[in-house]
Amino acid sequence: MSEMPFPDTPRVDAYDKVCGKPIFAADDARSGLLHAAFAVSTVAKGHITSLDTTAALTVRGVRLVLTHENIGEVKPRGFIMGGGYGFQSFQPMLSPAIAYRGQPIALVAADTLEAAMEAASRIEATYEQQPFSVTLDAEGTETINQADTPLKNFIPEIVVGDAEQAFATASVKIDEVYNCPVQHQNPIELIATVAAWDGDRLRIHEGTQNAEAIRHGVATALGLAPEKIEVISSFAGGGFGQKNSLQTQTVLVAIAARRTGQPVKLVVPRTGVFHDASFRPATRHRVRLGADKAGKIVAGVHEIDAQTSRHDLFPGEYAATSSRLYGFASFRGVERLVRTDVQTPGYMRAPFEHPACYAMESAIDELAYALGQDPVELRLANDTSVDSPTGLPLSSRHVAACLRRGAERFGWAQRSMAPQSMHGEDGSQIGWGVALGAYPGIMVPAIAHLKVADDGNVTISVGGHEMGQGIRTALANAVSRKLDVPLEKVSVVIGDTRVAPQHLTAGSWGTASAIPAAEDACDAMLKALADLSRTGVRGSPAEILKAAGRQSLEVEVQRKAPGQPDAIFERLRAGLPSIGGPVYGSYVTFSYIAHFVEVRVEPGTRRIRVPRVVSVADCGRVISPRTAASQVRGGVVWGIGAALREASEVDARYGGFLNADLAEYVLPVNADIGSIDVEFIDEPDKTFNSAGAKGLGEVAMTGAAAAIANAVFHATGRRVRNLPIRIEHLL
Amino acid sequence: MTLDQIAEAPTSGVRNDGSEVTVRLRVNGRDHRVTVDPRTSLLDLLREHLALTGAKKGCDHGQCGACTVHLDGRRVVSCLTPAVQASERQVTTIEGLASSDGRLHPMQQAFIDHDALQCGYCTPGQIMSAVACVQEGHADSIERIREYMSGNLCRCGAYVGIVAAIQDAAAKMRRA
Ligand code: FES
Ligand code: FES
Repeated sequence: MSEMPFPDTPRVDAYDKVCGKPIFAADDARSGLLHAAFAVSTVAKGHITSLDTTAALTVRGVRLVLTHENIGEVKPRGFIMGGGYGFQSFQPMLSPAIAYRGQPIALVAADTLEAAMEAASRIEATYEQQPFSVTLDAEGTETINQADTPLKNFIPEIVVGDAEQAFATASVKIDEVYNCPVQHQNPIELIATVAAWDGDRLRIHEGTQNAEAIRHGVATALGLAPEKIEVISSFAGGGFGQKNSLQTQTVLVAIAARRTGQPVKLVVPRTGVFHDASFRPATRHRVRLGADKAGKIVAGVHEIDAQTSRHDLFPGEYAATSSRLYGFASFRGVERLVRTDVQTPGYMRAPFEHPACYAMESAIDELAYALGQDPVELRLANDTSVDSPTGLPLSSRHVAACLRRGAERFGWAQRSMAPQSMHGEDGSQIGWGVALGAYPGIMVPAIAHLKVADDGNVTISVGGHEMGQGIRTALANAVSRKLDVPLEKVSVVIGDTRVAPQHLTAGSWGTASAIPAAEDACDAMLKALADLSRTGVRGSPAEILKAAGRQSLEVEVQRKAPGQPDAIFERLRAGLPSIGGPVYGSYVTFSYIAHFVEVRVEPGTRRIRVPRVVSVADCGRVISPRTAASQVRGGVVWGIGAALREASEVDARYGGFLNADLAEYVLPVNADIGSIDVEFIDEPDKTFNSAGAKGLGEVAMTGAAAAIANAVFHATGRRVRNLPIRIEHLL
Repeated sequence: MTLDQIAEAPTSGVRNDGSEVTVRLRVNGRDHRVTVDPRTSLLDLLREHLALTGAKKGCDHGQCGACTVHLDGRRVVSCLTPAVQASERQVTTIEGLASSDGRLHPMQQAFIDHDALQCGYCTPGQIMSAVACVQEGHADSIERIREYMSGNLCRCGAYVGIVAAIQDAAAKMRRA
């Protein structure tokens, strides 16, 4: 039965969501809650020479003004990519140092939000300023070759054969540079923390992808035992990578709550979300491709310059995906990091894979035109079942099926190859583009606790965070099927450090990690129920319990990624990233997608529209078909945003970002989106895990921007190599 | 108390001692009298003073639509609506949309049926806008729905489902 596709069932938390139930952190409206607001740095680098809080303290209702001068001792809690918990190592407000514009310099807690905001605006700071650099090419940046740093021990360099040599002698060559701008994740839920103390115990509500990092990070910073802290994040209003670790405000809100003896709520305003949380760094990609005359790719070289901060090295893993798109006979990846004066950049949906696939899949399209070959045929001809960087087999790869199914659904056979050869009735230029995307198959350890009761209720508690991707629904579906109980009887408890260790949920590993653990728990439960029912009672778990005179039965199981040592559970309990894959000893796992896009470039205005997209994904077994299709559509909307809309405008004069709100940072709106047709190959990958599920949330976005850029080239004959593509590029 | 009686109450929307005002308004059919800082937005009044946290704050600048509620039957972004401006008026929020016996509004049901949501954070605002979109007569074509729903951002990208839900619910609302 478990070999069958899963049925199309509604999202299990949809009812609460359409009713506006208070499920998010900032929905806490208890009385006695204080409201907090930040004052922030107006300079890009330097240090505070004086901070005057007198006027702020006179505002009626103000209870506390917290600054570096009165904060007391706070210990470093580290950088998530350096053995710690923070999105960056730097914690504002512990010293007069200013590392970036928009950094908090004071926190006000007051009876009302209005008083807190007024008081924050009355804080006067003077600074000694230093020169700063905020763009890749600015004077004063520092470029580091990642392979010369200890990061090379975690992120292997991609070297296959002698790619430079193979490129030099190739008959057909592409050598181009592609640029991706700074972007911000901008989940619609603002970053928000509610902290409340009960004696020496602290409870934190925050929408996060990583409740355990918050718990252990705050414990480290405040010198508390982690057992004293509970972090609850039952729902996050979108995360997209920005909420994947300890943010700068959480420790400060906890301190404010302890000082005032009252619960404190801080909702970071949108401009703060731009200036004091992670973002997608600017990247530049030089791609060289060499092929023989028949279209066999003999060489690939992908060099990346990626922005990082002064205080941290945010590692680059771009070539790890671009090198996996095809059966490259030779390949070289070069990752360089450029230090700038910003908060540390970080993960934004498909953090490396979207820019990498945009660059590589644009270059592949250029190669197809250089060869005069159909872009789908060129891709099929360079497909592979072997992982080029390691030589290992791929546990599953249905790229050819994605391309063929997509081409058929889209009607690709009707395409004429020449640019500017297709037109609409209104005179608009029509372009059809295709591109592939790929994303590593990653798993993390999980501990699952399962309880069945004689009233029929079933509770699964496991590590995982619901941020809209549908993990709660996937878990309920899997448990309901395994135990053969109705879906509505299954409660899912996730995002709560009280019930199970809450590993970071990101990297599309949520389903592949939590579902196998939950299924293992179901197997353990079925066995325990069988033991109970030795008397011969058969039936539902509740019937077996009743017959045995038991009210409930509980089991707990733990599960890790293939090849991980048992010590990984210690890391899991310590809130540290414990990531396995995509290379698993004897095989390599990736998810894949093929996007087919139609663009129309309007005559006169040159406005670019995307009336239809067809996307076919290979994500292994689809555990929750309805939420999975929504995930892919969302990924395509992100691709449209990345290709045509989104860029954070860096202010090279004063630091920070100029368009730090939702009016000027242009997200795709409803009118930007046409039809998005989604299909799944739905072939389980049982080598990867028993559920057969690979990741989906991020692969959905990869390649979509390239497919759009390729379609724009097909429509107009213009190859735009800088994202986003705008009207002015087509005039 | 009826709305007319509220309107006659002299202190509504008036400053008490120069730093606070009392606002009387009807929310989801219930009358409230709330004393707030005059700078308080309708959104913060609903969320922080009445614990009606269905309307969300996504920008506080009128740019995302997450805070959409109905004021005298018309959709407004409550973050840009001063609370005092709602005085003596009727507010409907997502919490007031289902009927008193708990039956969902057709638009709420359609959002479930078409999976017109992911994280759910924009959803209350989307649904309040969607109901208004139909009532305004702007739901008669897919293009008009897309246009008149473009003030409500969904970062999860649930737009395809949102449009399908509105088409579905519009037909049911017209029949009802
Ligand atoms: S919170 Fe009101 S429009 Fe965004
Ligand atoms: S459902 Fe997440 S923002 Fe719309």
